[in-house]
Amino acid sequence: MNAQEIISSGILELYASGLASADETAQVQQWIQQYPEVKAELDDIQLGLENYALAHAVAPEAGAKEKLFAAINAAADKTITAVPLMQTTNGVAAPVVPIKNYWKWVAAAAVVLLVGSTILNVTYYNKYNTAAKAAEEKDAQLAAINQKEKSAQSDLDVVNNKYSLPVNLNGQQNSPDAKAKIFWMTNTGDVMIDASNLPDAPAGMQYQFWAIVDGKPVDGGLIITTDKGKKYHFQKMKAFGRAEAFAISLEKEGGNPVPTKVVSTGAVCKI
Amino acid sequence: MSPQTQYTEAELVELLQNRNQQAFAYLYDHYCGALNGVILRLVEDRELAADILQEAFLKIWNNFSSYDVSKGRLFTWMINITRNLTIDTLRSKGYKKQRQISGDENTVSMVSENSAVPEQFDALGIRKQLVNLKPEQRRIIDLAYFGGFTQDEISRELGIPLGTVKTRMRTAILELRKMLQ
Repeated sequence: MNAQEIISSGILELYASGLASADETAQVQQWIQQYPEVKAELDDIQLGLENYALAHAVAPEAGAKEKLFAAINAAADKTITAVPLMQTTNGVAAPVVPIKNYWKWVAAAAVVLLVGSTILNVTYYNKYNTAAKAAEEKDAQLAAINQKEKSAQSDLDVVNNKYSLPVNLNGQQNSPDAKAKIFWMTNTGDVMIDASNLPDAPAGMQYQFWAIVDGKPVDGGLIITTDKGKKYHFQKMKAFGRAEAFAISLEKEGGNPVPTKVVSTGAVCKI
Repeated sequence: MSPQTQYTEAELVELLQNRNQQAFAYLYDHYCGALNGVILRLVEDRELAADILQEAFLKIWNNFSSYDVSKGRLFTWMINITRNLTIDTLRSKGYKKQRQISGDENTVSMVSENSAVPEQFDALGIRKQLVNLKPEQRRIIDLAYFGGFTQDEISRELGIPLGTVKTRMRTAILELRKMLQ
C-alpha cells in the first residue's frame, strides 16, 4: 500500500480510536515510521480526537491537583521506589532499590569504630596482662602473709593455751647465750619449744632436747636451728607426761642417746 | 493561578522526560478535564472516578519514560492509560464486562454547571463547533475512544456489520476534523 491508500483505508482512524488489533497496530506503527505523510495524517486524526475529548472535559473536584502532587512528592521522598518500567522477563515490575546515601556514611563510621575498637582492645589487653601479673604477685604475697599469720596464730595459741606451762631454759656457764623457752601442755604432755634465741649450732653439731624424768635425761628430739624459717617458730618436741626439768645439749649431728654437753636447763615450777 | 506558559508538545514531552513538575502541572491543568470526562463516561461513582483520575495521572508521571513519541501524540497515550485503568478498575470491582457508556448529555450539564473548568482550553467553544456532528457519529467515537469497545462490540451495539465499523469510524472522524478546522 502506498501512503494515500493507507490514509484512505480507515486503519489510521481505527488505530487512533483504539480499535486496531495487535497486528494492525504493529502495521500502523511501521507505516508511520516509513511515510511522513501517514505520520502527519495520524497526528491530525489524533489531534481531532483530542479536541473531541477536550470538548467533553469535566473539571475534577477541587483539591484533586493538590492531592496528586502531594502523592507525587510523597513518593519522591521515599528512597525505595519501584520503577514500573524496568520489566523482568516474566513481566513483573522489578523494584529498583537504590542504596540510601547515608549508608555510605554509616559504613565509613563503622570502619572508624572498628579501628578504634581494635586499638582499645590491644591497649586494654596489655593493661589486663599487667594487672593479671600484679594480681598474681599480690596473691603470692597474700598467701605468704596468710602463712605467716597462721604460724603466728598457732604460736599464739600455744602461749594462750590455758594448759600451757612455760619453762625458761637458761644458758649454762659454757654457753650463757643459749636461752630458750618451752611451753609444756600439761593436759596432753606436748612440748613446744621456742628456739629462736638459741645461737646457731656450729657446723656438724645439733641441739638436742631432753626431759629430766626421775633424775634421768630422756631424749626429747632434735632441735632445728639451721632452718631459719622453722627456727623462728615453735617446734613440737616429744611429749612428756611428767618431767622435773628440761634441758638442751649440743651434740653431734643426728643426736646422742645420752647428753654429752648440756648448754641450757630449766626446772619445771610446779604450781 | 500563575500565568500559564504555553508549551509545544515537543517541549512538554522533553520537560516531562526530565521529570519537571511544572510541566506536569501544565499537563494536568490542560488535560485533567478531558481525562476526567472519559472516566465519568464509564464510572457513575464520582468518588471512584476521582480515585481513578488520580491513579491515572500517577501512572502517567511514573511511567512517562515509556511514552514513545514516534507512536503518536501524547494525549493518545494518556487517554489509553486512563481508559484501560478505568476498565480494569471496574472489572476488579465486580462490574464484569457489562459496560455502560453514558451519553454526553450528562457531561454537557457537568461542563456548563461547573465554572471551575480550566481556562487553558475552551471546552464549550469546541463543543459549539461539534453541534453538527451526527448522533451516530458521536456514538461510534464515544464507544471506541471513550469506552474502549472493540470492533465486535461496536458492531453488536450499533447493529451494523463488522466490516462497516472501520468506514463508519473514518467518516465520523473526518467529519469531526472538518468541524474543528
